[in-house]
Amino acid sequence: MTVSTTPATSRAISVEINGDTVEREVPASRLLVHFLRDDLDLTGTHVGCDTGSCGACTVLVDGLAVKSCSILAVQADGASVRTVEGLASDDGELTALQQSFKDCHALQCGYCTPGMLMSATALLERNPHPSEADVKLALQGNICRCTGYWNIIEAVVAVGQGGAA
Amino acid sequence: MLLREVEYARPATIEEAIALLSGYDGARALAGGQTLVNVMKARAAAPDVLVDLADLDELRRIGFSADQSALELGAMVTSTQIGASSEVEVARPVLAEVVSTIADVQVRNRGTIGGNICVNDPTNHLPPLLVALNATMTIRSVAGERIVAAEEFLIGVYTTAVEEGELLTKVSVPTRRPGSGDAMDGVTLGAHGTYLVSAAASVSPGGVRIAIGCVSAAPVRATAMEQRLASGDFSEASVRAAAEGLGASLDPPSDVHASADYRRHLAEVSAVRAVLRAAQRAKG
Amino acid sequence: MTAVETEAGTRQHGAAMGVSVPRKEDNRLVQGQGVFFDDIKRHGMGYLHFVRSPYAHARIGGIDLTAALELPGVLGTLTGDEVALLTDPFFQIAAPPGGHVRDYALAVGKVRYIGEAVVAVVADTRERARDAAELVMVDYEPLAVVVDAREALRESAPVLHEECGGNLSYSDVWEWGDVDAAFAEADHVVSIAELHFDRFNSTPHECSGALVEYNRGTAQWTVYTNNQFPGFAAIMMGPALRAGLDKLRLVTQDIGGGFGNKITTHPQLVVCCLLARKLKRAIQWTEWRTDFHQSMSHGNERWFQDTEVAVKADGTLLGFRTKAIDDAGAFLRYEPLGGVIWSQVAGGLYRWRNLRLEFTQAMTNKAPVSPNRGYSRMQQLWFTERVIDIVAQQLGFDPVEIRKLNYVQPEEMPYETPNGCVYDSGDYPRMLDLALELIGYETIEERRAEAAARGKLLGLGIGSTLDSGTNNFGQSQLVNPALQFSGNNEVATVKLDIFGEVVVTLGTTPQGQGHETTAAQVVADSIGCDVDMVNVRVGHDSYWNSHAGFSGTYASQFAVTGLGAVKGAADLLAGEMRQLAAMVFHCSPGDIELGGGFARIIGNPDAALPFMALGAIVNANNAGFLEDPPTLNCRFVYRPQFDVPDLERKFGNLTLTYATQIHACVVEIDRETGVTEVVDYAAVEDCGVRINPRIVEGQVMGATAHAIGAALWETFAYDEDGNLLTPNFYDYHVPHALDMPPLRTGALESPSPFTPLGTKGMGEGGGGGIHCICAAIQDALRVVGAPVVTDSHNPYHRVWELIRHPERSRQSVEVRSR
Repeated sequence: MTVSTTPATSRAISVEINGDTVEREVPASRLLVHFLRDDLDLTGTHVGCDTGSCGACTVLVDGLAVKSCSILAVQADGASVRTVEGLASDDGELTALQQSFKDCHALQCGYCTPGMLMSATALLERNPHPSEADVKLALQGNICRCTGYWNIIEAVVAVGQGGAA
Repeated sequence: MLLREVEYARPATIEEAIALLSGYDGARALAGGQTLVNVMKARAAAPDVLVDLADLDELRRIGFSADQSALELGAMVTSTQIGASSEVEVARPVLAEVVSTIADVQVRNRGTIGGNICVNDPTNHLPPLLVALNATMTIRSVAGERIVAAEEFLIGVYTTAVEEGELLTKVSVPTRRPGSGDAMDGVTLGAHGTYLVSAAASVSPGGVRIAIGCVSAAPVRATAMEQRLASGDFSEASVRAAAEGLGASLDPPSDVHASADYRRHLAEVSAVRAVLRAAQRAKG
Repeated sequence: MTAVETEAGTRQHGAAMGVSVPRKEDNRLVQGQGVFFDDIKRHGMGYLHFVRSPYAHARIGGIDLTAALELPGVLGTLTGDEVALLTDPFFQIAAPPGGHVRDYALAVGKVRYIGEAVVAVVADTRERARDAAELVMVDYEPLAVVVDAREALRESAPVLHEECGGNLSYSDVWEWGDVDAAFAEADHVVSIAELHFDRFNSTPHECSGALVEYNRGTAQWTVYTNNQFPGFAAIMMGPALRAGLDKLRLVTQDIGGGFGNKITTHPQLVVCCLLARKLKRAIQWTEWRTDFHQSMSHGNERWFQDTEVAVKADGTLLGFRTKAIDDAGAFLRYEPLGGVIWSQVAGGLYRWRNLRLEFTQAMTNKAPVSPNRGYSRMQQLWFTERVIDIVAQQLGFDPVEIRKLNYVQPEEMPYETPNGCVYDSGDYPRMLDLALELIGYETIEERRAEAAARGKLLGLGIGSTLDSGTNNFGQSQLVNPALQFSGNNEVATVKLDIFGEVVVTLGTTPQGQGHETTAAQVVADSIGCDVDMVNVRVGHDSYWNSHAGFSGTYASQFAVTGLGAVKGAADLLAGEMRQLAAMVFHCSPGDIELGGGFARIIGNPDAALPFMALGAIVNANNAGFLEDPPTLNCRFVYRPQFDVPDLERKFGNLTLTYATQIHACVVEIDRETGVTEVVDYAAVEDCGVRINPRIVEGQVMGATAHAIGAALWETFAYDEDGNLLTPNFYDYHVPHALDMPPLRTGALESPSPFTPLGTKGMGEGGGGGIHCICAAIQDALRVVGAPVVTDSHNPYHRVWELIRHPERSRQSVEVRSR
């Protein structure tokens, strides 16, 4: 058996995070969200429940929206992970989606926002001009307790239409 | 939210995976983890060794049996994959339709067909559907392979025909025949939410198969209703008449979302709706 | 969705106020750069995990910490016995019997609900703290459990707090007008046996928590937390910890929603304080979702029994009498204030003058209740709306017409209610017309027929509610005359710094309401500059001199108290800036105008000083003045004008403003399954002058979503053993994107005559959505036996039961006519 097939309570992993390769030894029990938040200080990814139900922790793993509370850090070994910190450019230029969230008042407390942005980013990469129904489906895994979703849906649809109305 | 200490291994081959599952006490296969990781967070389960199947490419394939009679889905095929598969679209489109309503995008991106049925939560979508479709499951162990029908496979919550040291590798679903149609119905807690009751139906020239979810630890075949519909009369009156007594034959649980009585009633309504839609589709 | 603006601002706005300027908060929040409490770290900090009770009612035998303390990485523990030695019980708002409750930060001697914190364990990682918590052995001797407030009041019921002599925490009779005469005059008396308002809360997305440091040199704690009412937390924590308030520094930052549910975290914060001192390290506590559901801030469940309504033949409502039974849960963390808060809206929007309500509150083996968006008024408003619709149904009145007939009319504003509250302004009939227009009232019968063809029962409902804001804390004396609270206040400071930066400091604790933005809008217009030039500090810090006893964000008051303080401070600063410019230009302050970031002599554009020059002169270049120049650092305390209510008559003005909501919705019900879907929704809000209409609309949307959830899915349901059956987001279904109906919003602006900016506090929405959904369900079901909706929460199975047995609910209603 190779090293990776021998069971162990921790493991050295290599993950590409927002374009940078990170190599760390992590306990097998550590959730990806705690690896990001506690070990790497990427605190933009949030935790809003303990049952994998709320989507606040959504990140992109190899381009797919994933709840980082429902995957172990060791499972992300070899993967490419994108978090909310990886959206705007280094000089602070926002993506069209981030700008649209601002324009449409699509956030209040901002706690769900990073997860919403990641789910919507994955949608827009696959479907640049989503309908309202497409957006609702894409955001079904992300709870928001402030906005009632209406402005969030409007913000994502607006990106596909070239900006806020 | 916080897991107990656990050992982790990521085998490169099915053989290695089986060796790990049979070689370590408390070893458990980790598929997409959308249920298992969350159960471990609640500390309702605490496996000693997680055997991550992520690298087993063979389990991620969608294809056909040699004689083309069955659609074959590897145990690690995700809901997102099923939803986008042209093979599924051609061979058994109801699978794509149903998995696209499982929870949400994130869960579908990681959740697998194997995980969904091995968990066999009574509220899960695929167990009743696969019973109605008369699917079979391929289980591998050191001793070799065996094939089990869906009804025998699904035993109870977290309990299936997969025994210690064994691994579910494949789900085979008969390809759709002319004159057949499938549908699933039920009531969920909010759109795409947890099923309170589900019913899956598959109508074909040979008869109808109906399976009810959420009313027992495993899907329940509505055999009396199936027999009454053997004549092939799928008019609304006939289907409604056939469903009578189905509820009374069930012993569903009562919980905060639905009383046992309500579930009995929903089982009849859902079965009727699933059969009517399946029959409609069978007509083409 | 379409926002219909029926009136442009009815008051003169400046350049910034009244405009939906982009939010200042958003840039950091869309980049994941917000700082929430759990994002703060300290070297060597210990993670706290609570051992929680698995029993709803039990005596604590022994506690064995040995195994937990032996686990590597464990740093220490705290038990109830230590808490009882080191702290005093929390101050009780209640008079006896509730006042006898002894409430500590951890369970002492007994546990009284499942999820109650019994022991705190601290370790070097989150995971290990939880591992150690599992090793703590607690011996429990289970006791009989009571989860129903009605049963808790019976003599035979198990008693939670022996020192109270029973489970009654508070009771009183509230009566105004001449109720007997009203019933004597009535042509019809409609009686309703029992109505039930369900238990739920707003479940903010971020749960509670803190990072607490203790400075041994100064004996001072710094509490980084998301508590939304630090003023209240401090007065609870200080005496318990036997420390002066100077020793408690409470700091908030970005907060992930609150909705009232983050007011009563003082017990957990006290545990963190004790452990930070004991273990000589920073303590980090993060509440997980299941902990929150099991133990934090449930909304008040309430029954209304033996209700009678006096009605004239023409539909005029004369009065009601009812008996309210309120369920406080296991401790009185903010209660029994719910026992008076309802009376801010005792009669809802209606003109009836003869009201009698016997209020009785009981303690049960369930999580303690605390304020929840629409706190205690929502229950009363639901009651009044349900009464209206049941009366209309029973006597054959049109729900629209009976409302219009009985609404307080615009020409009666300001309107004094039978209990001395003053509805400041509003036009309810016009709002209702607007809501009906938005919902398409004219076509409702066609839609009903179209739905029937699809096997669906379609119904329309109206919810008319008030969002009373800016409390007169003197009302607390109505439930306990010994309390020494009255009035209200909030503080802001506005200063001009050395490089011309305008810096605003608030006492409030926003949780998404955009205070940084709206405060900047007010300041910009007051001192004459662009919104971008105004820097508003994030959060609350009791180290800053910008807070008062009632500081915080709760009870719909920021637009009055918070912005009142901001406006006051900004006006002071503007005066000082003019004064300074006048000193420089050797002219009179009256000759100076402020605008565009300059102070200039009116009519002489060349004589202009940029803000930077003013700031620099005062702060760094102040030689040569014969008189002291002003400081350009202005603090203002806003204090609304209130009197202490008349305790004998239970009479007085309890809140300063009354924002109004008229909601209307259309539901479709699957006749076979009872599955209920809200298919159309309209919400009209009048909160006086809107500083930022888009933010106001956002609050309306959020309140609407909460109401839809509470009406159909969200419930804190318990079994008879005291197990919470909905302890997480898996079973507690909050609305998701796919659950939301189309929404149209509308707004009216009736400026408040009582507030500095004409604004009214808003955001709680009064639960209007719950009321209109209940009404719509009742309307939809009129063709299947006309059942009566008697519960605020109507999940599918309850609707199915209404369809199956309409006679059962109808039996609870009776009409006696002359």
